Amino acid sequence: MKGLKHLGCVVGLSVVLCALVGSINNDYYLRIGFMMSVYYMCAVGMNVLVGYAGQKSLGQAGLFAAGAYAVALLTTKTEISPWLALVLAALISGVCGVLIALPSLRVKGPYLAMVTLAFGIVVEKLVSEWTDVFGGAQGLFGIRPLTWNDAPFSTQQWVWFSIGLSAVIHLLLRNLVLGRFGRAWLSLQADEIASASIGVRVYQSKVTAFVVAAVTCGIAGALVAQQNQYINSDFINFHLSIFILLIVLFGGVGNVYGPFVGAVLLTLIDAALSSWPSVQHFVYGALLLFALFVMPGGVMGTLTQLWSRQRAPVGERIPCSEEIKLQFSSEGSDDLLDVQSVSKSYGGVKPARDVSFRLKRGHIHALIGPNGAGKSTMINMLTGIVRPDKGLIKFVGQDVVGRQAQAICILGMGRTFQNLRLFGELSVLDNVMLGRHARMRNGFISSMLSLPFARREEASARERSLALLQMLDLLSLADKPAGSLSYGLQRRVELARALATDPQLLLLDEPAAGLNPQETSELGDLLVRISRMGLTILMVEHHMDLVMRISDHVIVLDYGVKIAEGKPAEVQANAKVIEAYLGSDVDAALVN
Amino acid sequence: MKIKSIFKKTVLVAGMVAAALVQAQDIKLGFNGDLSASPSAQSGKAGVIGIQAAIDDINSAGGVLGRKLILVIRDDQSQPPKSIQNMSDLVDNEKVAAVFGPTNSGNALAWRHIPNQKKVVSMGMIGSGTDITKPMSPGADNYMFRVSMVDREQVAGLVAYAKKSGTTKIGLMGETTGYGQGGLKDLEEIAKMHGMTPLATEKFAVSDTDMTSQLNKMKAAGVDTVLVWAQGTPTGQLLRSMEKLNYFPTFLTSWAADNITFFDAAGKGLAGKPIFMRTMVAPSTPAQQKLYDRTAAKLAAPSAFPFVIHGYDATLLIAAAIRQAGGTDGVKMREALENLSAPVQGVMKMYDKPFSKTNHEGLTADDLAFVKWNDDKLTQHSDAIVKSLAKADFKR
Amino acid sequence: MDIAILQALLSGLAVGSSYALVALGFSVTFTTTKTLNFSHGEFVSAGAFIGMSVLFLAVGKPLTSTSFGGVQPDAMIQLLALLAALVVMGVLGWLLFVLGVRPFASRPGMAWVMSTLGFGVILQSIGLAIWGPKPVVVPSPVGDDVIRMFGIGVRPQELLMLAVSLVVMVIFDHVMRKTMVGKAMRAVAQNPSVASLMGVNVNLMMIGAFVVSSALAGLSGFMLAPIAQASLFMGLAVGLKGFSAAMIGGLNNARGCVIGGFLLGVLESFVNLWSAQWREVAIFALVILVLAIRPNGLFGSNMVEKV
Repeated sequence: MKGLKHLGCVVGLSVVLCALVGSINNDYYLRIGFMMSVYYMCAVGMNVLVGYAGQKSLGQAGLFAAGAYAVALLTTKTEISPWLALVLAALISGVCGVLIALPSLRVKGPYLAMVTLAFGIVVEKLVSEWTDVFGGAQGLFGIRPLTWNDAPFSTQQWVWFSIGLSAVIHLLLRNLVLGRFGRAWLSLQADEIASASIGVRVYQSKVTAFVVAAVTCGIAGALVAQQNQYINSDFINFHLSIFILLIVLFGGVGNVYGPFVGAVLLTLIDAALSSWPSVQHFVYGALLLFALFVMPGGVMGTLTQLWSRQRAPVGERIPCSEEIKLQFSSEGSDDLLDVQSVSKSYGGVKPARDVSFRLKRGHIHALIGPNGAGKSTMINMLTGIVRPDKGLIKFVGQDVVGRQAQAICILGMGRTFQNLRLFGELSVLDNVMLGRHARMRNGFISSMLSLPFARREEASARERSLALLQMLDLLSLADKPAGSLSYGLQRRVELARALATDPQLLLLDEPAAGLNPQETSELGDLLVRISRMGLTILMVEHHMDLVMRISDHVIVLDYGVKIAEGKPAEVQANAKVIEAYLGSDVDAALVN
Repeated sequence: MKIKSIFKKTVLVAGMVAAALVQAQDIKLGFNGDLSASPSAQSGKAGVIGIQAAIDDINSAGGVLGRKLILVIRDDQSQPPKSIQNMSDLVDNEKVAAVFGPTNSGNALAWRHIPNQKKVVSMGMIGSGTDITKPMSPGADNYMFRVSMVDREQVAGLVAYAKKSGTTKIGLMGETTGYGQGGLKDLEEIAKMHGMTPLATEKFAVSDTDMTSQLNKMKAAGVDTVLVWAQGTPTGQLLRSMEKLNYFPTFLTSWAADNITFFDAAGKGLAGKPIFMRTMVAPSTPAQQKLYDRTAAKLAAPSAFPFVIHGYDATLLIAAAIRQAGGTDGVKMREALENLSAPVQGVMKMYDKPFSKTNHEGLTADDLAFVKWNDDKLTQHSDAIVKSLAKADFKR
Repeated sequence: MDIAILQALLSGLAVGSSYALVALGFSVTFTTTKTLNFSHGEFVSAGAFIGMSVLFLAVGKPLTSTSFGGVQPDAMIQLLALLAALVVMGVLGWLLFVLGVRPFASRPGMAWVMSTLGFGVILQSIGLAIWGPKPVVVPSPVGDDVIRMFGIGVRPQELLMLAVSLVVMVIFDHVMRKTMVGKAMRAVAQNPSVASLMGVNVNLMMIGAFVVSSALAGLSGFMLAPIAQASLFMGLAVGLKGFSAAMIGGLNNARGCVIGGFLLGVLESFVNLWSAQWREVAIFALVILVLAIRPNGLFGSNMVEKV
């Protein structure tokens, strides 16, 4: 749905809900409505963290506690306004989000789940054991609630306020998630290494996701504390973390409307079963399994599947604008890349032994050698995925040894992978637009508020991506999931993605692998065309005909040592090269 | 034929309307407490049995103001958030005239602002946390009443016992729940009033099974009398840890030791060690015996019987309040309770002006007795120290 | 204070042995299938209750009794109960793998985590419906009288638990390192497709891992019941601490997990000596600390991925 239309719908729905609330006088039902909004806020943040960024987190209760206790302590120990306390509680929760994200730098998967779980438990124990500060099981009383006209909010006002706040949070996060940041998070979930190689700041993105979840959970906790005017450690437990995850899962992971559906449905079920607590418990377990088996995409997932069958592929609807002239920057010195005495060893295996070479701007270079020669390792060292033990690598005059992959990408190195690393679940267009991620300049705030600047950046990124797709003859496939294409087409998508990063140097790891002679020849033509647009290319290749035909300069590696370098014809005739490929007993004449 | 069928229909409709009217006349009373989760759940169940017995008796005698009483039960599984939700359900949805409960003191502390805000009377009959019946702010109208054991009163008795025994080497231990923490607070304050300072204060969790580390610290500090505030199971485990260390100081504890969970956890041999206080030991009047015979079969253990009585008496008091208030208006009911014009004959005792504006406790230290486990029965405990205690010793 | 320290050490080792058994259970499934049973705790409780039920039936009481009332089942019956617990838990483990883990293992995201959690909730609900929440005192096969040595006291069941855990761990270590079965399991963890090509029945190995892990949970529960009382909530704390121990030790190193378990138990005991209320915070803060410095646990190894 387009921006304004969506805004209209949200405002309309909120007004209708508020009117409905106005007509209800039963506090019990109003409380349920309030809890729906509270759970919604928790779920929408968790959806970003778990659904988009794919971080396994089990510590939401701790973030909820951060907000609740922050507001409790601020309003009981100081005189500041409860509104200000709410804002401060949100900020404090954000800081806690940074703390809980710190381990995510180093741990992944179940380890991360454990660390976040441990965080949740530490917070739970802190608030129950450190009774001097947090009141423990007795809790903190007299939390000052939000006021209107000098009177504390009535239950009705609480529900209105929370509906409004939920609507605002929904709009802000939707902006984030449908644009640059959402794509970046999804790429993290799919393939972190590929994500870094196209310039996504992996660690910062993870932290941002954690902070988003922390702030929304914190606000939810603060609201509960202020509405009850009481909080104690019993509110914070593992069950809360599981319930929030269940809402996200049931509603639809990674779907913008999932948290809303999940929060409404589950709060209703929770309230309906509250008279039979043991049944309630069982139902949660059953719902969890039901969601996983029958509706893995949650309610929204199942609905979108039904809905999307009727939609026409977007590819046909994209207006085919005139061919945009793509130009890659070609300013700067002739020596684009300078590798000096680079060495790397993994124990007894030495993929690089004192290798040095230079790449000239505007040329097509090839790196060849028998299997195990160390070619892929060299590419990985150049792009920052592997760190050389010794030596210097200078790119556009800057030393890049020890720099992170995303920083090197931003400097101007783009790459493709030997074992395809596409973001399979994302569309072809999204994959290429991710390539533009590092070059888009709209930051967090402007994206969240959907400022005109952000929208312009998004539009121009989209245009450029479409132009690239057109150039590579992939335009009709723009909306298909990248993982559903044939192998050859997937390789082209990866190439498009790498080109989208506006590289000065394009590193291709076996670009012709798996292609038939016809496709290989087309690839060669394409590479030559790209090179003429100003791009410098270094490709690792085994297809000798391709190498010989299009390269200006060939480097040969064998067991980590550079054994030859020069024009294709020179290298072909080099005795050492022949020996490396075929062994020493064979006549040189056989090769020609 | 037509007339006959119209007549039939009219009678049917009239009957339904009458039934509906009668239904609308029923007075709802609510119970909000733990019936299934914590070690104290058996007390909750016993309390409900008592309330229901009283309701049955009142209804068969014509009800209150000609209307029948109905009990609406909500299990809060000892979780405060659930307890708060239940409270809202009972007060806003079911529109009960009064709420009984809870089982766990921490839950009452969590929701006591609701009865006070909505002006609905709450009559506690189990949870003994002292602060439950404190007004929300000094001098404010207070809608929380109680007819049960009060921690403060028990602590007054136990600390008086410790002081009278002549020891100065006391140690305190409490579990880390609202109940345990509240008890510890009372213990520290009352000990101070007697001029005693505990040599060591230790805590443990409800699910702990080994407290030898904490006990070793007590032992090292020279403690010879330990006052413990915890639920049944951890108290039992505490004794087992003492057995490991062969360290048996005088053991004074809360009424939670009357629970079958304590007896099971400690085992017959160790269960006899602690001294604690209860409102009654065994049925001692014909009325109590009659109620006991009536309800004993439904109880998880005979030692839960006092809560049946508390529930019964609480219902009688509420019924009296409704009669005096002429209806179920909360403000009038509160005023009635604070100024009961006629004494109420309860099963525990005769309640003659039990409550006032400042006192909302139906039972006090005077109603408590020292008890101990003897084999598998609770018996009254009497020794030289108990005999020498006077009312003045009970500082609170 | 030395007596206190010695007592804390022994108590710590006793409780640490239960953590070690649980940690081992986690390690088994992780090394073979790269997944974990997040409701291992509920399996521990279930094991205790299955064993207890068999004991009840054997002495002629109904399944849902609440107390043994001083009846002491003899050693043969205890052994039978243990066997029953192991078998039933093993079957549950097989069910869990086939229904709850295998369908989701390859999917990204938290699907299998949530699935195992869901199983745990359902298991606990069924247990609550049958037996209720009240804990039951279970008689120990080796009696309950305190054994005193060097001035410290210990219960025979604690020593039994310690001994059984050590035996189990030694057997395990031997199997994993010295036998073909162990090598096959590790091969499956590294690369299931290649292992399959080498003739290893990958599916059987994975099922086996879950069966063994669940049987271990049942053993832990059965051993723990006489010490801590059989309760449907007993597994939660032990499961969490056992998991922490596995994390600290390194999930893919069985020895590390066991050492982690004992370490955690002793640490818990010593923190108790210092200040009982900070115990839980100290333990979980330690977990976070260890993982921050050595993300794969103290003894775990990094799994290398080809780029």
